[in-house]
Amino acid sequence: MRAPARLPEAAEVNTGGRRTGRRARPRRRGGARGVERPRMDVRDLWTEALAGVLARPLRSALTTLGTVLGITTLVITIGVSSTAGNQIVGRFDALGATSVTVVVPPPPPSADPVPLVDWSGVRAVARLAGVESVAAIADSQETASVQVRANDVVAPGEVTGQTMAVVAASPTLPAAVRGRMTAGRFFDDGDVSRHERVAVVGDQAARLLGIGSVEDSPAVFLKGQAYTVIGVLGGAEREQRLATAVILPPTTAADRLGLGTVTRVLINTALGAADQVAHQAPIALAPGADDALAVMAPPDPADARKGVQGDVNGLFLVLGLVSLVVGAIGIANVTLVTVIERIGEIGLRRALGASRRQVAGQFLLESTTIGLLGGVVGAALGLVVVVAVSAVRDWTPVLDVRLAFGAPVAGALVGLLAGLYPSLRAARMEPVDALRS
Amino acid sequence: MTEPPTSAPPKTRQPKTFAPVGSTGITGNTENAENADEGENVGDAVIQLVSVGRTFDSEPPVHALRDVNLTVRRGEHLSIVGPSGSGKSTLLNTLGLLDRPTSGTYRLDGVETNALGDLERTALRGSRIGFVFQSFHLLPYRTVEENVMLAETYRRPRPGRGRGGRRARAEEVLDRVGLAHRAGFRPDRLSGGERQRVAIARALLGEPALLLCDEPTGNLDSENTESVLDLFDRLSEQGMTLVVITHEEAVSRRADRRARISDGRLTEESR
Repeated sequence: MRAPARLPEAAEVNTGGRRTGRRARPRRRGGARGVERPRMDVRDLWTEALAGVLARPLRSALTTLGTVLGITTLVITIGVSSTAGNQIVGRFDALGATSVTVVVPPPPPSADPVPLVDWSGVRAVARLAGVESVAAIADSQETASVQVRANDVVAPGEVTGQTMAVVAASPTLPAAVRGRMTAGRFFDDGDVSRHERVAVVGDQAARLLGIGSVEDSPAVFLKGQAYTVIGVLGGAEREQRLATAVILPPTTAADRLGLGTVTRVLINTALGAADQVAHQAPIALAPGADDALAVMAPPDPADARKGVQGDVNGLFLVLGLVSLVVGAIGIANVTLVTVIERIGEIGLRRALGASRRQVAGQFLLESTTIGLLGGVVGAALGLVVVVAVSAVRDWTPVLDVRLAFGAPVAGALVGLLAGLYPSLRAARMEPVDALRS
Repeated sequence: MTEPPTSAPPKTRQPKTFAPVGSTGITGNTENAENADEGENVGDAVIQLVSVGRTFDSEPPVHALRDVNLTVRRGEHLSIVGPSGSGKSTLLNTLGLLDRPTSGTYRLDGVETNALGDLERTALRGSRIGFVFQSFHLLPYRTVEENVMLAETYRRPRPGRGRGGRRARAEEVLDRVGLAHRAGFRPDRLSGGERQRVAIARALLGEPALLLCDEPTGNLDSENTESVLDLFDRLSEQGMTLVVITHEEAVSRRADRRARISDGRLTEESR
């Protein structure tokens, strides 16, 4: 009956007669029986429900308490844990969250002689956004422990031969390991291109070899060849094994030790760029073969702590949920009492033409409003507590917008669920019985 | 898909015009034939009960109404008297569409009510009947004006009577019952007679076809009773159809017609 009844209205709209069309509809819906259907303006429903809530303000306020407690607990738990979690992440950022290491797997024996990653790949990585420093290292099984001694002259009783690792590295290594030259200088691009027989030793290695200063150009001997020591690298925060290593220019190492294949690339990124760089670096290093490279982004140290915290938070979440359930029962209970108290009012409304659905809708909206009020107050209290805790602990409060807006919605939902049964009771009441009371 | 040529444009439509009984009845022709047998001109009948009975399924069954026939025309003022337990309340509930008869037919304002569903009866009740109760049934937490405005809450606004003008109309009916100066008061600050007049104003706001009053003076002293009865007289003069159920002779004497109910049977008293 409805669909065809709408057609003439559309036609009237076209001729500018919209008002006539709208007015005519109720009569048409009434049909031959002359009976309209009950209809209630949403604003009227809202007015009635609000008046019902405000009729007993103290009772309504007390009824919201359970929801307030529950929502407050939930907001505090979630808010404080996200704030604290963020603090832990922030603390570790400064130390390690900016370090990315790309590991190049050793080529299989049958592979073609072209290395997976070329030394020039370092420059490609350096161009990536968010990269602050980068260096490549080459080492191998054969050069992991090499007999190294400082000079040919063997003083009696002095042990000058040491077993050390020998590696080749790009000239940018000191920045990449966040170290500094304690003496002399690191080799530069010129040394590399000239295949200079120079070496830089780690500070531990320098002490073991008895090298104190590089001004007199001391030499180290390894595999029967002499290299001039031009600098001592100290204070490396990454790749601390380099403290006991002899570092050669890649060209020189390739020529004399067969140490020419890049095995590791060390990257330092800007704060927060580690993830993206970890994704892009392999592509820059070995286009087309980036899947073969292993990337080690720093493990998130916060994960472990979060896991521990999670257990504690879980307890509080359960507590909050329990208070919500208690709050819901409270709302249900009070709404039920209200329904029974207002039986006469229900009868009157039915006599005035309210349908069962409209009566149920009013009580449902009242309980939902009470729940919503509890949610709003609870969310506000919870957020205040989170901010206060952050202020005391000198933390930056981290407040999820979804939390601030979700909490009142959760409160309203609690009220809605709690109001279902009392509303049903109100709707089922027969007007005759309701008016008699 | 055009409007029937006979229907008037909405603007000129009177709220209280209803088609004759014969053409609007939703039941079959047999019903109409039955009505025709009564041999009455029922064109302006607001209430038409035809051999209405109401039996409650208890042990033993209670026959609260037995073969009640009653026709009330527009503008009539009828009082129904009877002692308690006589079926008064059942008759009132039946007339007010709060209860269904177990036998017979009830036509309210030309609408055959027996076949209507719960929702339609509710709508019909809201749009055609103004209730006045013994205990007033005013909401204590709302002002007098808001209580009156409640009458228009559950209905589709009639043409020219939109939501915006509701307050003005409430003031108008309050003025009609002589309580314009009490519009902002809570009901608990009014006397009993004033409360009942507020309840009457609420009933009038809905522009009902019928004012159905259940012991309207039962809770009032003689002075307040007099003020309410005077109001009834005035409303009756203005053309309102009144059915007053009471057990007080003084109240029933003011009516044009009097009927007595006893043991579920209704008998008209000649004046």
